Amino acid sequence: MKKLKILLIGQPNVGKSSLFNALVGPKVTVSNYPGTTVEVIKAKKKINNTEIEFVDTPGIYSISDRTEEEKVTESVLFEEEVDGAIIIVDALSLERSLYIVLQILEAEIPVIIALNFLEDAQKRGIKIDCEKLEKLLNVPIVSINPLTKKGINKLVEVALKEFFEPTRRIEDGTRQGFKVKYDDHIEKAINKISTEVEGKLPKRFIAIRVLEEDEDFYKYLKDKRVVREAKEGLQEHPKIAEDISITRYGTASFIASKVTQIIPLKKEKSERKIDRILLHKIWGPLITFLSLLAIFAILLWLGNLTQEVLMGLTEKFLSSFDAVEHSIIGMVLIQGLTGLAGGISIALPYVFLFYFLLGLLEDVGILSRFIVNTERFLKKIGLPGKSFIPLLLGLGCTAPAIRATRVLSSKKEQFRTASLFAFVPCSSRIAIIMGIVGFYGGGLLAFSVFATSIVAGLIWAFGIKKFIQIKNEPLLLELPPYRRPLLKNVFAKSWIRMKDFVYLVIPLLALGGMAYGVLEITGLTNIIIEPFSPITRWLGLPAVTIIPLVFGFLQKDLTGAMLISVIGSEISLALTPIQIYTFGVASTIGIPCIIALGMLINEFGFKKATVLTITSIIYGFLFAGLVWRIISIF
Amino acid sequence: MNEEPDILKIVKEDILKVVGGKDEKIPLKSIEVDTAVSSSIVSEAIKELKEEGLIEISSEKETGEEYIQLTKEGRVRANVIIKKHDILEEYFKERRSEEEAIKAADILEHYISIEVINTIKKLNTFKDKGIPLTEFKQEEGLITDINLNIELFERIVSMGICPGEKIRIIGQIPNGIIIEVKNKKFALDKEIARKMKVLEYEKA
Repeated sequence: MKKLKILLIGQPNVGKSSLFNALVGPKVTVSNYPGTTVEVIKAKKKINNTEIEFVDTPGIYSISDRTEEEKVTESVLFEEEVDGAIIIVDALSLERSLYIVLQILEAEIPVIIALNFLEDAQKRGIKIDCEKLEKLLNVPIVSINPLTKKGINKLVEVALKEFFEPTRRIEDGTRQGFKVKYDDHIEKAINKISTEVEGKLPKRFIAIRVLEEDEDFYKYLKDKRVVREAKEGLQEHPKIAEDISITRYGTASFIASKVTQIIPLKKEKSERKIDRILLHKIWGPLITFLSLLAIFAILLWLGNLTQEVLMGLTEKFLSSFDAVEHSIIGMVLIQGLTGLAGGISIALPYVFLFYFLLGLLEDVGILSRFIVNTERFLKKIGLPGKSFIPLLLGLGCTAPAIRATRVLSSKKEQFRTASLFAFVPCSSRIAIIMGIVGFYGGGLLAFSVFATSIVAGLIWAFGIKKFIQIKNEPLLLELPPYRRPLLKNVFAKSWIRMKDFVYLVIPLLALGGMAYGVLEITGLTNIIIEPFSPITRWLGLPAVTIIPLVFGFLQKDLTGAMLISVIGSEISLALTPIQIYTFGVASTIGIPCIIALGMLINEFGFKKATVLTITSIIYGFLFAGLVWRIISIF
Repeated sequence: MNEEPDILKIVKEDILKVVGGKDEKIPLKSIEVDTAVSSSIVSEAIKELKEEGLIEISSEKETGEEYIQLTKEGRVRANVIIKKHDILEEYFKERRSEEEAIKAADILEHYISIEVINTIKKLNTFKDKGIPLTEFKQEEGLITDINLNIELFERIVSMGICPGEKIRIIGQIPNGIIIEVKNKKFALDKEIARKMKVLEYEKA
């Protein structure tokens, strides 16, 4: 019976062990961990009257980097009598795989290439011309898939044909594999050393290994002095070893580029089409703006629906406390519960829905395109593109949004973005604008409050840009591929963003409500009416409105209830439309509440946080009074 | 949105590099001085390196001082990192001051693959150092340099945009340029594109 000994060589994770199993049957376990075959595994199989011994070697990237695995492979390769080697090549990284092929071809060992992952490559739009590669390398190539056993029989067939009497084939030139050609000075040195080589191994190969400073190969030299002689006169090229590997790598990448063609996939093509629209200089920003507007329409609609249901429930719940209303503790408790109800019924559905929609946009891949589009405009007011997400989150709840400014790379940028939360109305402030200004003063008035916020914010941002010089963070953003969102991921992400709100903000809302209850019962709220009357006079509002304006800071959701409690439920009779508008502006511009202040302290320290909060509130009051006066002129 | 650079991985590699740079075992304490990060991360990194069998900790009987030493496998890993660093340092020395070259190599060594290191080696032999990305007209090229301040450099290489990588230009946008590196798409500021040098792929 004839015998054949065949070596399997390849990079880690190239599917070598799977191929080994496919060839000899499941005699070794296949595991996904890199470097599974630390030892050499051998197995024999009888095919067509021939006994083939397959030898599985450890996964290696080359035979020059001197790791343990490479040493093992090298010793099997040269010290055992092998008839040929099957090199498994990864179609997904042809370049890297070809390096080792070229190295083994230098050793003049008969080689067959088993091309793995060809289907995967095709799926990714990488087309490899196998015939061309076969011709270039002058080595047979078999495309395989060890998992489906595709090409395995053919591989064995080719091996039987190719590996019998390989020496004759190599000598008569019918199977002379591709040889890397090195620079003239290296070739000269190779030739020189070749003359001193003894033994069975190819002379050129030994010479190259010696020049690559592989000391294991010095033993094949008749006279070691030849190395120094060969290197003499090459002083201008002190790094021969490196030059050799660079040339080999260069040749590998040259061959790879000759036989590979990248075809844009259908998906990629359609993705480009979408990008051409979404990132268009006019359509892009327009779509971004309209989408955000649409999201708000959806939110207001859905938010109102859930709010009505939840409000009904909490009111029922609160009315069951009527009996205790007249005790002091009962009154404090009721304010606390009202605060809690405000948090849950107004903010929770709104904030959660909003964060959910935002997460959805993010996972579909659209949000990053929106960031690119808005960056142009944010840059004009001195903000980095990445501040877009925290600013958007600010429309939900300011407190978690302040934490979200951490995505920005510097504390300065972070603080500047956070300062704008004075003008980005959170859900509670939107509730004031819609529920009080809109409800008692009409849609136009509510819209004017939003518009005033934007104008005040722009003036603020330009002012900061003018006076504080911060080098702008340039646009650098990954654009993920468009994909179908996984609802589970979106929920998880929304929950992470919600966490602060649920665990921190909601309990504090209840506490804020209770604190207000205590102040109200003890009559302390009325103390501030007189000393703060200059402010209400500046705002052109009744003196009692200072109570919701100031104590709204404890619990923003209670602002409306406080207003009703001080001036009665007939707001449209008690206040003129301009007063309603001024109240809306004064209560929504500025860092909104004590919870946001706490978050600011947490991020930026007590001093910076309080200065920002007080300044922003004064700015809001100034602005509201000024606008009211300007309007009154007409 | 952005992945944080894996600090633990970086610290682990830095420790291997520091220990690997010396022949004998070195006192555990001196590690914390060499790498400028919090000591809890350093001890976490040392713990993991030990579990992975890359280092050994021994304590001296008399003084009780602990020493750190590389195992055989750890030595191999350390050599790879040191080699990467040397190649990168040499590469950047051709392009900027020595001090900046070392800084750039210190960062890039943690992010660059062996494959790309090979390209870097090859690029080092070229006279052609490439042209700014903003002036580049072909569709495909090879990034030869990214000359940004250190923080921005670290951010960009941690996203996978490294010298030695292939780059594809996808399109222009009003505020920048859309590129593809390693099958990932990015929007880049014009400011960054100007400081990035690219070589025609055919020439490479």
